[in-house]
Amino acid sequence: MPAIVAVENVSKIYTLGKTEVPALRGVSLQIHRGEFLSIAGPSGSGKTTLLNLIGCVDTPTAGRVMVDGKDTKDLSERALTDLRLHRIGFIFQTFNLVQVLSVFQNVEFPLLLQGGLKRKEREGRVRALLEAVGLAEHVRHRPSELSGGQRQRVAVARALVTRPPLVLADEPTANLDSQTGGHIIDLMKEMNSKDGTTFIFSTHDPKVMSHATAIVRIADGQVAGREAGAAAASGRR
Amino acid sequence: MRSRAGAVGVLVQIAFRNLFASTAKTLIVGGIILVGALLVVVGSSLLDTVDRGMRGSIQGSLAGHLQVYNARSKDDLALYGGMTGESQLEVIPDFAALKAVLEKVANVKDVVPMGIDQAMVSTGNELDVALEKLREDVRRRETGDASAERRRQYEAHKAHVRRMTELLQAELRESRSIADEKYLREREAEWKDLDRATAGAFWDGFDRDPLASLEFLENRVAPLSLSNGFTFIRYAGTDLDAYQRGFDRMRIVEGTTVPKGQRGILLGKLYAEDWLKLKTARRLDRIRDALHVQKKRIAEDEELSRWVKENQAATRDILMQLDPLRAEEATRRLRAALRSSRTDLHELLVELLTTDDRNFDERYAIFYRDLAPLLQLYMVKVGDSITIKAPSKSGYMSSVNVKVYGFAEFRGLEKSALAGIMSLMDLVSWRDLYGYVTAEKAAEIREIQRGAGARDLPREQAEAALFGSAAPAAVATGRAVRIDDPVLAGVAKRKADAALYSRVYSQAEIDHGVALNAAVTLHDPARLRQSMKDVKDALARAGMDMKVVDWQKASGLVGQFVSLARIILYTAVFIIFAVALVIINNAMVMATLQRVKEIGTVRAIGAQKRFVLAMLLLETGVVGVAFGVVGAALGAGVVWLIRARGGIPATNDQLYFFYSGPSLIPELGTASLGVALAIVAVVSLLSGVYPALLATRVTPLEAMQSGDD
Repeated sequence: MPAIVAVENVSKIYTLGKTEVPALRGVSLQIHRGEFLSIAGPSGSGKTTLLNLIGCVDTPTAGRVMVDGKDTKDLSERALTDLRLHRIGFIFQTFNLVQVLSVFQNVEFPLLLQGGLKRKEREGRVRALLEAVGLAEHVRHRPSELSGGQRQRVAVARALVTRPPLVLADEPTANLDSQTGGHIIDLMKEMNSKDGTTFIFSTHDPKVMSHATAIVRIADGQVAGREAGAAAASGRR
Repeated sequence: MRSRAGAVGVLVQIAFRNLFASTAKTLIVGGIILVGALLVVVGSSLLDTVDRGMRGSIQGSLAGHLQVYNARSKDDLALYGGMTGESQLEVIPDFAALKAVLEKVANVKDVVPMGIDQAMVSTGNELDVALEKLREDVRRRETGDASAERRRQYEAHKAHVRRMTELLQAELRESRSIADEKYLREREAEWKDLDRATAGAFWDGFDRDPLASLEFLENRVAPLSLSNGFTFIRYAGTDLDAYQRGFDRMRIVEGTTVPKGQRGILLGKLYAEDWLKLKTARRLDRIRDALHVQKKRIAEDEELSRWVKENQAATRDILMQLDPLRAEEATRRLRAALRSSRTDLHELLVELLTTDDRNFDERYAIFYRDLAPLLQLYMVKVGDSITIKAPSKSGYMSSVNVKVYGFAEFRGLEKSALAGIMSLMDLVSWRDLYGYVTAEKAAEIREIQRGAGARDLPREQAEAALFGSAAPAAVATGRAVRIDDPVLAGVAKRKADAALYSRVYSQAEIDHGVALNAAVTLHDPARLRQSMKDVKDALARAGMDMKVVDWQKASGLVGQFVSLARIILYTAVFIIFAVALVIINNAMVMATLQRVKEIGTVRAIGAQKRFVLAMLLLETGVVGVAFGVVGAALGAGVVWLIRARGGIPATNDQLYFFYSGPSLIPELGTASLGVALAIVAVVSLLSGVYPALLATRVTPLEAMQSGDD
């Protein structure tokens, strides 16, 4: 089974004025389908950079990033956007919902961008997902009317609505209290085990980490180690 | 496919909801667009109306659509006079030939010959007027009217004239006291005449031969009057019949048109008001205008106060007009109207004319109700004949007597000193005055002058002149012959004039002869450019060396006003929208910067750049169109309101001219609405482009930044 994500000796250097800041220095990593992988590390370690490269919103300075079998360096801006639309779901630290759209519309949005589904089919899928994340009662609400946890549930639903093989979540629980954060991780885990969607999320919260099937530790822009998570045993059973 | 519609749907929804989400921005941007659209609609409606009005006034009064004149002219044609007086034009040698060529051009409706010039009008004096009345009395007595009333009037008029000759003698005595020997010797005969006219013996013997006595007074004494004045008149000599067919703005306010083919003049109403009206009455009119139209006050306005003082001082003009009978009547009426105990007419007049803001309207009414019917308000009446003098081409004065058939004004130009002061005269009289006559008439005159043998026009050339020729330039010198010396005088002239007035000229006589310019009117003015070219081509083919200009160029400064007003509005609109563009652009850039995270998120989720571009353009577009439509509608409302309230009043003569009437009643053109909406659409689109392009540069990375959204 080929890896859904292959990172090969990737480095990323940001230029801030005249100084060059290396964010990643020769990172290699393979992520397989169905994994529920946590990228851990202190802030500034480069874990967000790594997620951005995997999420096709950025390209590496050197090395190769293969997503869903495609080398991101070979793709145009437009093709990268299409790749994100069809193959990747995003969950953000700050939820990032479109404020002017309702809960329902926020979730429906990627489907509308994709096109191809009939209205009925589309609405059915959105409703089912919102039910699954426990927001069936809130379809008409605006994001501003929801709590942080509810907003992040909407974001999860939005990330999953296109049924992408890969979902990226950058510090999904950082802006939530630990209980709510736990619920979000549970929700993600549930989706992972139900559909086999690959989840990659960054965190520095050990409690969140404990849910992962694998933990990749990053320090100083390099992979410090990869270990099976606490959930690995139960996950494989 | 369905989903494309879905994407567009969500785009529209995002765009609309963003507008409502950021109300402040939307209202600022929308407000600017609204005001802009409103201004464009109102401004262009007003201007279109001004434009149409002025265009109509100028085209319909004198200019027509095109003007044709001799290309060898030294100056450009300036229908309303140039900076340095009348333009020096070379004549069109044979108008008929020109007309024949022009009338064949498509779209040409009428071709009207013209000759515009300034001349002096001898306005006569009070003595002439009094003598005229006396002559009328004598005529009636001779036809057998011997009533006591007639007798009384005759005696009163006689006394009036006698008193005037005495006054004249007194005036002349004063001027003689400062004159030198030579002058006195030259004028010895005049002084003797005056002595005779004031002597008791003359008046005692008046009734024995009243006609001879009148003749003496009219021919020998009246010309001595110092107040014998001239005024300048600006007139267009034209084929009056063709003129009335081709021009619609001329309106006869008093009298009639000149009968077809006859000599005559229609005096400009404004000219009559300004130059021929009794100065006192004219000043009263102007004060009234200033008070009621321009809302000035006598107490606060230096000019008005001066007019009041001048009226108080100038009672002589009125007193001179009144014979003893009328003076008595005037005294009676003024005493009653003013409830005054004064008995001296001069004092009563001063009292009447001592006006202020409070009593002006009352005094004005008294003047016109009680006094005016006793006076001759205008120095020239309909039916009078006036003498017009002008330096002819060779420098000598030539003069013609023409009968005044009426007073005319030009609709829209009633108060324009520049364009509305024109009088209209028949073309034949103009030719006499200007010093050009037809070749035939010149030959005739020469024959009379030199006897049958003396011909200086060879037969072949005369024939060529009659039947037209391939070389009009060569004929010109033979055809245009000057006559410079009017000889007739006195009774003989009176008879000659009468014969001249009743002479009817045929169309051929009017057409075959010189003109200075030809006005061309078109069936379809919209095709002016094309017709101008056609006319030029036709003239070139016919070998006529003529210049063709459009009405605007021909009307010189006056025509420029139309363009000027337009340029001012366009500049204003341009500035307004340039400012609007900058403000809207700034507001949209700010709004875009505030939405960087949202845009980044949308991009990260998978929206292409073009989606973002469309979203932002749609936002400004929607604001532009929505507020633009509302602004245009409000503008239409303002225009409607102005119309409902009777338009914008012209508070001075300049505005009267711009408005082509007493008030500007704007018309809402679909064109101005369309233009307003188009401008608004373009401006909002332009101002939205930069922020939208800026938004497409937002990368998905922006979505990853932490911080509240």
